[in-house]
Amino acid sequence: MTGGESEEVKIGLEIHFQVKGRKLFCSCQGEESENYTGRFLRTLRATSGEMASRDVAAVQESLKQRVFEYLITDNSCLVEMDEEPPHRPSSEAIEGSLIVSKLLHATPVDNLVFMRKIVIDGSNTSGFQRTGIVGLNGSFEFNGKRIGITSITLEEEACKKLDEKGNQVLYSLDRLGIPLIEIATDPDITSPREARLVAEAIGLTVKQSRMIRREVSSIRQDLNVSINGGKRVEIKGVQSLTQIEEILEMEIKRQEILNEIAVELRKKKNIGEKINPIDMTASMKEIESDMIRKAIASQKRVIVFKLGGLSGFLNKGDYRLGRELADRLRAIGIGGLIHSDELPNYGFTENDKKYLFQATSCEDGDAFAILLVRENEIENAISAIEGRVLEALDGVPAETRAATPNGTRFLRPLPGGARMYPETDIPVTAISNELLSNIYDRMPPTLEERKDQLVALGIPEQEAYTSMYKEYDELLESLVKKYGNPKIAAKLLSSVFSREERNLPRAQKILELLSNGKVTKDVVVDLYFSHDSLDEIVSQNSVSNSNLDTIKELVKNNRKLVMERGESSFKLLMGEAMKSLRGKLDGKVVSETLMKEIKLILEEKEQRN
Amino acid sequence: MLCMKVQDLEFGDEIEVKWKRMVLKGILVSKDSEFLNLKLKNGYNLSLDISKVTSLKLIEKKINIPTERKSIKGKGKRVSILGTGGTIASYVDYATGAVKPLETAQDVLYAEPELQELGDIDAEIVFNIFSEDMNSKYWEILAKKVFEKTSNGEGVVVTHGTDTMSFTSSALSFMIDNPEAPIVLTGSQRSSDRPSSDAHFNLLGSVKVAQSDLGEVAVVMHSTSSGNSLTIHRGVNVRKMHTSRRDAFKSINSEPIGTIDSNLSIKFAEYRKINGKPSKLYEKMNEKVSLIYYYPGMDKEILYGICERKDGMIIAGTGLGHVSNTFISDLEGFVKDGKIIGMTSQCLNGSVNLDVYSTGRRLTGAGVISLGDMLPEVAYVKLSFLLGNFTVEESKLLLNRNLKGEIHDRRRE
Repeated sequence: MTGGESEEVKIGLEIHFQVKGRKLFCSCQGEESENYTGRFLRTLRATSGEMASRDVAAVQESLKQRVFEYLITDNSCLVEMDEEPPHRPSSEAIEGSLIVSKLLHATPVDNLVFMRKIVIDGSNTSGFQRTGIVGLNGSFEFNGKRIGITSITLEEEACKKLDEKGNQVLYSLDRLGIPLIEIATDPDITSPREARLVAEAIGLTVKQSRMIRREVSSIRQDLNVSINGGKRVEIKGVQSLTQIEEILEMEIKRQEILNEIAVELRKKKNIGEKINPIDMTASMKEIESDMIRKAIASQKRVIVFKLGGLSGFLNKGDYRLGRELADRLRAIGIGGLIHSDELPNYGFTENDKKYLFQATSCEDGDAFAILLVRENEIENAISAIEGRVLEALDGVPAETRAATPNGTRFLRPLPGGARMYPETDIPVTAISNELLSNIYDRMPPTLEERKDQLVALGIPEQEAYTSMYKEYDELLESLVKKYGNPKIAAKLLSSVFSREERNLPRAQKILELLSNGKVTKDVVVDLYFSHDSLDEIVSQNSVSNSNLDTIKELVKNNRKLVMERGESSFKLLMGEAMKSLRGKLDGKVVSETLMKEIKLILEEKEQRN
Repeated sequence: MLCMKVQDLEFGDEIEVKWKRMVLKGILVSKDSEFLNLKLKNGYNLSLDISKVTSLKLIEKKINIPTERKSIKGKGKRVSILGTGGTIASYVDYATGAVKPLETAQDVLYAEPELQELGDIDAEIVFNIFSEDMNSKYWEILAKKVFEKTSNGEGVVVTHGTDTMSFTSSALSFMIDNPEAPIVLTGSQRSSDRPSSDAHFNLLGSVKVAQSDLGEVAVVMHSTSSGNSLTIHRGVNVRKMHTSRRDAFKSINSEPIGTIDSNLSIKFAEYRKINGKPSKLYEKMNEKVSLIYYYPGMDKEILYGICERKDGMIIAGTGLGHVSNTFISDLEGFVKDGKIIGMTSQCLNGSVNLDVYSTGRRLTGAGVISLGDMLPEVAYVKLSFLLGNFTVEESKLLLNRNLKGEIHDRRRE
């Protein structure tokens, strides 16, 4: 039902690629590392600007009062620790991003200006991510359709999150500062499947630059999706291409349901009325609920309130507004919301439910909720719930959500442009015509051009694409140039790269042996996966003679059989011969020799007769 | 829509720009003869070469939203924050993305709303300069202002650029005798517009110290790279020892006078309490004092040039306090002319000792004063203070006498 024709789905992608080499703003190596050399603690704080427009997303994170602990790695320095100003940006990374811009037909900027994008979830020690636009207004052709490219930006990768417990989050500095190229498409994609295919195709194109890190974690997608002209939702952190389709389908479904709920809610009169929280901590002690008991023991209050008109919308069938409310609370560090659609449960009986229904002055169609919070959290919690209920009237709220195995979950409101201001520590870099023409001289071939180069060597088209996709095309090319046998080499490497564990020296040695005639075409792949020692094969320098002797020997030993069965003994003996000669002697030679030997015996027999 | 010339547009206007066959909309951030800076709706700034911009249109004039600044009256002991400029005193104008200095007292309180939880905060910008532009005239202005506040029983927090903060903390230490309230200097190594800024914690900790019974001048800054502990340094013992780290400030040749934890509770070690003795302001600083850093091969002409124009000079000498033997007879001449020459060490850690080597003994013989383990910068400020308020003879006697904890008899590191 999702992504169907009746509705308009708009999807935009943000694809991130890590660039090889040094980090963007220091000389540390851009690689993962678990060699920890120290640790430190920080807190971050949303700064109040003159315009009183602290970015909503940033403010929300600061509400959580979180403490961030960072592990220092051997590939991080004072820059990652936010103890030294950034160095000049890596020229390699700038050139890489310009190449990607060109590949996607974007217009390069006159001057590269790095901005500070406020991110106070701790993933950047500075509290912001440095990012700059490199190219604008590009395009990408996919199956004859033009997908607009909004921008290509060069930015720094964030810290790796290792753990989160309560209000303390543990990060590692190894990844922080790795250059990241972000490609943002216009919302020109109209189905989850198309989204996956476009992401795949753009990935393949960009990989041609040879500047992209290969690790699995080095490519990441964010998805922007809206339906029927509704608000945009951004989904963060989709790690694999295959996930894209599934997540988008689930998200589109969620949005459809939210729109459906909105239609229903707009018919009601008391949606979004002001919440009247009642502290019922004292009267809750009798309820046989572990949850309540634990909450009270940890100094929490039990706050109960009516949610006008929301009965059956919080958790019934596809309607899950309750989860949306709980998500908003979790985002400000508050857990523990129970609502009437879930009851009886958690130790609350049907009678308890009735009692609370009355206590909160509910009428037919109303729901109520129970909140387990600390005294100082009540106000924030209630206002978060009130806010989300009001948004339900409009359908889909503009949000940033995280990809999860079950769909998406709320992270924060969609951040606005208010969270950006210039990175004054880094001088503006002019993108001169000299720089551009120098880079354009070194442009990688397009996919088509590259495929043609490989096909010209005799590599089959399909294998050529596979090699490009898996980035072993250069290896394949060099092996074919050295040892010939393009079809066999392509077949072997595609088998080699189909597995995680690879023994490239062995594959190369086998191709060398093949070119010397020491192994045969038909056994190349089997030999690679076997445990046979290649050295032994090499040491058999007069392979053919000794192998031919093997055949003679075989026929001699089976003389009786040959005499009895005549030429029809060939099939049996051939099978026997190949058992010991596979890989050592070409099948054709074996059969010829064998036939010759059989005929010799038969001639002899005839002469005798 | 009106087509306008570049010069008619102003900062903050919403404009439409044609550039390289693209149409871009955004807020005008700045423009000059070469570049036009545009803030796009998504927050990114674009810096366009003016020569490539083919047309410019005004969409909407800047809307000025007056910001309401309620005066903040908190609870708790009254503290005066005196602003002098520096990294700590800035904020971001998110409309244009520019980082601006805090210009009024209310700006400060607006940027740090948590201050009102701590006390009844009064804020005043005394001057707004880069700390490298600091000089003795500013110290005179500042000391007067601080004295006015402390004599009123108000603790003072001076926000200061970190580069020369220890010079100013020394100046205030000498110029205000027996302060009737704490005097605390603080700054930040990461500007306060950044979420990771150290300014916030430094400022809150400083306000707490300014509410204590501390009767001397202190510098409060981060203890480590972590944001969970502050160190309270004596104003005459502290030095910036790193260009960029949060924990750049260290007490040299002495222990800090206290620490502050993440809950803002203070733990004092040895410190001077407000002693009830009459407080006195020494208003003048003598500008004709110099600080030179001796190096191998130093040209004597430099020394002559300085000594002829100055009343006194502090030398940061090598090791135990040495300069080339070829300088000694000239130094002797200057001392005979009535100039004061004091010797400190470039090593910073440890004390000058002019008795160990013959060069040292010759320097003593020439009338150069050994200044023990006093830091060169502190000695420079002290000499300026002495010659501003005392006779040459008195100054000579007081220069190597411990007045505010700047010279120590014992060192344990």
